[in-house]
Amino acid sequence: MSSHGTSLRTYILTRIALAVPTVLILLTIVFLLMRVAPGDPITSALGARLPAEELEQRREAAGYDKPIPQQYVEYLGNVVTLDMGESLTDNRTVTSIIVDNGSATLELTIAAFIVAVVVGVGLGLLAGRFRDTPIDVGSRLFGIIIYAFPVFFLGFLAQLLFGSVLGWLPTSGRASPLVEFELNQITHFYLIDTLISGNWSQFWDVFTHLILPAATLGLVISGVLIRLVRVNLLQTMRGDYVEAARARGVGERRIVIHHAFRNALVPVVTIAGLQFAILLGGAVLTEQTFNWPGIGSELIRYLDQRDYIAVQGIITIFAVFVVLISVLIDIVTAFIDPRVRYS
Amino acid sequence: MSRIGKLAIIGVAAVAAAFGLAACGDDDSGGGGGTIIRGTTDQPISYDPAGAYDLPSYDGIYAAYQNLMQFPPGATKPEPEAAESCDFTDNSNTTFECTMRDGLKFSDGSPLTAEDVVFSFERNVEIADPNGASSLLANMQSLEAPDDKTVVFHFKEPDATWPSVIATASFAIVPSDVYPKDKLQKDDFVGSGRYEIAEYEPGQQTVLQANPEYTGEDPPQTDQIINQYFDKGSALKLALEQGDVDIAYRSLSPTDFDDLETAEGVNVVSGEGTEIRYMVFNLDLMPGDNDEQKLAIRQAVAQTIDRESIAQNVYNGTVEPLYSMIPQGLDFANDSYFKEMYGESPDVDAAKQTLEGAGVKTPVPLEVWWTPTHYGTSSGDEYAEIKRQLDDSGLFDVTLKSTEWNQYSTAAFTDKYPVYQLGWFPDYPDADDYVGNFYSKTSFLNIHYNDPEMQKQLAAEKASDDDATRQAAFDKVQEIGAEDVPTIPIWQANQVAGVADGVEGVEETFDPSFIFRYWLLTKSD
Repeated sequence: MSSHGTSLRTYILTRIALAVPTVLILLTIVFLLMRVAPGDPITSALGARLPAEELEQRREAAGYDKPIPQQYVEYLGNVVTLDMGESLTDNRTVTSIIVDNGSATLELTIAAFIVAVVVGVGLGLLAGRFRDTPIDVGSRLFGIIIYAFPVFFLGFLAQLLFGSVLGWLPTSGRASPLVEFELNQITHFYLIDTLISGNWSQFWDVFTHLILPAATLGLVISGVLIRLVRVNLLQTMRGDYVEAARARGVGERRIVIHHAFRNALVPVVTIAGLQFAILLGGAVLTEQTFNWPGIGSELIRYLDQRDYIAVQGIITIFAVFVVLISVLIDIVTAFIDPRVRYS
Repeated sequence: MSRIGKLAIIGVAAVAAAFGLAACGDDDSGGGGGTIIRGTTDQPISYDPAGAYDLPSYDGIYAAYQNLMQFPPGATKPEPEAAESCDFTDNSNTTFECTMRDGLKFSDGSPLTAEDVVFSFERNVEIADPNGASSLLANMQSLEAPDDKTVVFHFKEPDATWPSVIATASFAIVPSDVYPKDKLQKDDFVGSGRYEIAEYEPGQQTVLQANPEYTGEDPPQTDQIINQYFDKGSALKLALEQGDVDIAYRSLSPTDFDDLETAEGVNVVSGEGTEIRYMVFNLDLMPGDNDEQKLAIRQAVAQTIDRESIAQNVYNGTVEPLYSMIPQGLDFANDSYFKEMYGESPDVDAAKQTLEGAGVKTPVPLEVWWTPTHYGTSSGDEYAEIKRQLDDSGLFDVTLKSTEWNQYSTAAFTDKYPVYQLGWFPDYPDADDYVGNFYSKTSFLNIHYNDPEMQKQLAAEKASDDDATRQAAFDKVQEIGAEDVPTIPIWQANQVAGVADGVEGVEETFDPSFIFRYWLLTKSD
């Protein structure tokens, strides 16, 4: 027999406390990997223009010759004080990188997530409800095919069809160059900023730029959700309480929507939440395909230039965000399913 | 019909409506009425001259600031810009004096004086930013402004290249009462150039607007320039085809340009360029039992490489064969020595004789390194073609190796690679910026090449501002370089851009200086 069980509050505090060492381990790994990888920002930029002695002088002036433990302590100290420093290659504060580019990625990710949920849950529900019918087969086939597509290839196809051939939608950027310049950035979420300023022309420009990248990324993720929702729905439909409801004469649609579906959502919430976290990192291919100025693209660029200050800062934020999402998922799951928090 | 079915139909209809409206929507993304949008994959590092030593930053700096000297379109010698006149005042070329123009103003309305010039150079040296070009000022001993209109430079050694050096964007003039002396200016850039930097969003765009305080005689032809950044050349090409940008310059591939030649509404324009590619031999690591054999191997490679084939088959004619480490278009370039020694076409028989004469056994095993991540997507094709040419001659057995740039740029200059690929674009369009960097005994190449006569000629060309003296010295340098061939020139690139119909001025700015002059651009609706 289990003990009297853990209260929800204790469970939440435990999960949050475990997040701290998780983030610390991840930061340490990133720090070491960046130091081990060959090259540095100065050599990357000027390695084929300056003599070795001068490169070494510049490296010393920039502090790259400090002992690794000293750099590590300084790095951790900066993380704790939220002073992520400045990028070595373009003198941007890491905070500004996260705000400007992070908001771009978040905007794309949220839009893609909405597409993924609407399409994935919707088709999964239909597939489960109309099992072994053409709707079921079609939905499952769609889910498999769309998930198998590399996201950048789907993006290219979308650009080709809707951009080049039909000319319906823009294929790159968050907004047209002029709109981008004239936009009054308050929240750095362009859709929200254009609504705040009440400029419908700008809103439409930003919205149309968001369609292709969000749809591309969202559709690929929806493939996972389609199968997950279908499987869980079928499982819950076999439950005794469902049979009992049928026996009481409850209509099939009401059984599916109000009884089976809600219970089927519990594992879906977990997976969907994790998918959201993965989307942040997985958005990099979409960002590169659509020239979306997100944090994933910037991370690639800084990695290429060995700008370890920027890379560390970005990965720190990624790590904290993913861990927080995981904790949030655990909390939501524990909240809706009391069995989770009792040992 | 079920409620779900109705909801599904409404959802589909909403999506279709969105697409329909989007298709009908106005597209003002191509700019208009005094705005030109240039797309590029190059991103700047800093718009503070003291923190810039890269082409993308230079594009913006040349537009927003002035230098004492400048390279007008098509010129190979610098002319005064913010200065009214500049010249050496002694016979030994160790003192250089400039007289400033009257009435110069920064974009904030404050006057530009000699004091600002001194401040700009001194802070460049003091900051010594890791990404900056302060090393080009190593020969500057001191400078002063005896009055508001005069600037005097003193050098440690004679330096005839100084007028070209100070025309470099890294030494643009900044306001002494705005910019900090000991660190870089991060935003609110102030210059006296034809444009102001109205906005800079890293990774997204730079917006230039005509500077109303500009006092020069060549104001910008277009009021607003937007420099839009792209991660990939493919996205840039698509943007040009769709009319989202007016100009696509740096960097599209030769294949992209081939495709754009037949695209509607787009023209491919090209002009002189001074970016070069060459092959480097580490004289200690390369094969050969003695110096004579090593020289024979280098000469035989030079006799075997088919540059025309590389230019046409790999680069689709966007590059020209190169027969001197000083590219054509620059003063003092003379490729006659190399052509005379090795011919303009490959000569395998001559190469064979060269190797036999030195007692070199063939095929010569040759390990050649290249990098796929710094010199463009065609590097692999280029070196595959070079390997094919050398292997097919029967005289060489080439093993190609590659690594990404960060590792490559360290290993190449620390005695790891016997033969390797390199490229160069000029700090300033003077022949010294090429041969001085490649053949000097303190060259960054670190290939253990040190010819006394070469060093003497390099010092001679740098010390004299007399064209005849410099030509004689550079001729000797190129002759020795052809004989010793520690590096083999392969090609020099034309500057190429995709340009939308109605946009003019791009061809005019393509010249050996590598300055993209936004102020020459115009666009007709």
